[in-house]
Amino acid sequence: MTSLYDDGCTLTGALSVTTEIARCITLIHGPSGCAHHNFSLLHALHAAQGRMVPPLLISTDMTEKEVIFGGERLLEETIRSVVKRRPDLVCVLSTCVTATIGDDVDAVCHGSYQTPVVHIPTGGFIGGGFLDGHIQALVSLSLPAKESEKTPSVNLIGEKTLEYEVNEHYQEIKRLLSLVGVPVNVRFVSGTTFHDLAHLGRASLNILRDPSMVPVGEHLKREFGTPFIESFPLGMEGTLRFLERVGSHFSIDVTGAVTGEEAIQKAMVQDFSSLKGKRIIFDASPMTDVHSCYGYELAEMLELEIHEQGDPVPLPDPFPVGTSGIRRLLQRWRRRCHA
Amino acid sequence: MKQIALYGKGGIGKSTTSANLSAALSEQGLDVLQIGCDPKRDSTRMLMQGRLIPTVMDLVREQGDRTLTLEDVVYRGYHGVRCVEAGGPEPGVGCAGRGIIATFQILERLGALRADVVVYDVLGDVVCGGFAMPMREGYAEEVYLVTSGELMSLYAANNICKAISRLSSRARSRCRLAGVICNAKNLPREEELVAEFAQKIGSSMVQFIPRDQVVQQAELNKKTVVQYAPASGQAEIYRSLARQITGNCRLDIPVPLEIEDLEALAYDFSL
Repeated sequence: MTSLYDDGCTLTGALSVTTEIARCITLIHGPSGCAHHNFSLLHALHAAQGRMVPPLLISTDMTEKEVIFGGERLLEETIRSVVKRRPDLVCVLSTCVTATIGDDVDAVCHGSYQTPVVHIPTGGFIGGGFLDGHIQALVSLSLPAKESEKTPSVNLIGEKTLEYEVNEHYQEIKRLLSLVGVPVNVRFVSGTTFHDLAHLGRASLNILRDPSMVPVGEHLKREFGTPFIESFPLGMEGTLRFLERVGSHFSIDVTGAVTGEEAIQKAMVQDFSSLKGKRIIFDASPMTDVHSCYGYELAEMLELEIHEQGDPVPLPDPFPVGTSGIRRLLQRWRRRCHA
Repeated sequence: MKQIALYGKGGIGKSTTSANLSAALSEQGLDVLQIGCDPKRDSTRMLMQGRLIPTVMDLVREQGDRTLTLEDVVYRGYHGVRCVEAGGPEPGVGCAGRGIIATFQILERLGALRADVVVYDVLGDVVCGGFAMPMREGYAEEVYLVTSGELMSLYAANNICKAISRLSSRARSRCRLAGVICNAKNLPREEELVAEFAQKIGSSMVQFIPRDQVVQQAELNKKTVVQYAPASGQAEIYRSLARQITGNCRLDIPVPLEIEDLEALAYDFSL
């Protein structure tokens, strides 16, 4: 349950999912502060992505009275008033307080309402952080989906909706998949509708945003028998291998697609030939060995020297997706090296 | 002002002892306030001639805490003993411990916690921080443990010692163990055993209360023994307890026993 390197609030992780579902109202069962803090954060991050509509977030505004006498009635009343607004879905998120006093949120959510109500347990003190909330929300939201006949398509699982370049990453993976002729079935979850969620089982392959989403991949594999690839494509070589893996899953010959992409990558290296021979050093962003290897790969292909006195260049974590992601990164490197 | 709290295993007779103690103290001419700190709300029932008085938490639930007055929460019972019940949520929901904390804040704000003697009658075990509230913030300064000679009862008393010793280690804490009250179950050598237990945890037994039918009879008549059978030997025992407590100035930081030692002690006295 406890992830050693996961910090932040479980609630925020779950909200990064539920606020991405169209016509879904998220109800936070807890004191108003839990909602206010997260509302501000989400609104600011959404605004930075150009989404000006405030997230549909409501608090049950629990007070000491509910802490003492129990908050189940307040929750039920609030769900009923929220349902009157006719959303497609209501997601109920519990908080530290409601988990501590033992409100049976699950039972209240299973009551009879005109709108589907999904409970996502997010009492943060239990040990989870942001990532656990993200995983928990996806697992809970997969429950209403039914097993259905498979079509040759993929789901994108666990896009990090609060990171930069979410849409750029999506466009790139869509482009790569189109090279091998595979469509996206459901983005689970980013700009998704409640209707989409029901068809989660249709895809014959799940592509996880990154390996932190493996618990969700495993869950969906158990529920719908869908195998998964554990990460979006990263790095030059990684992007080519990704095409091959997708191809092999669908038994499609991808030789042409790989050759084509390789040619694009070579041309890109040519475009940035002014960087050749420059001295660089990766700047101080936190990084793991796995992720710094993409930096070394690029340095080698562009014939850059990694040197202590080199120009500091960014090596962002998460690393940008696919060939297009690398192109955007190289533009930043070129500016840093004044090449 | 003397502020005492009675703690002990559920069903051991804390409320009966508290009510009789309060009655006996008031007969000494003292102004006594008894505060029931158990959601079961039956601490003051005998003092109130069987009446279940409205609890602080009931009133908060019904009308909120803004408009509460002293008259809403304090009720006069036998011999002028003033009675308060904290109350709490319905069984199985919410957080009773937080209810106790909220009650104390309300009583404090209303200036209710003033008397010659304040008797806090607290739920069986100190299950969470809320039920340790009477021991904190300088409310009860003298804790009395109510126990019989049964192992489970001693076990609960020993556990409460852990809470007292932890709380009393805080610099500003004035909470101390004042003594052990043996509410007997009529076990062989019970008085010796409880006296030995009291001494081993670094305290003393202040009163041995033998088991007597009259307690049950008084309760069925919705009265304390002191009121129902004032001339009885049992009433005299409660008066003796009241004198012991008014005269007691021994306050200790207890040393809880290891479970093995406690079991060995009970075993020794069972032979």
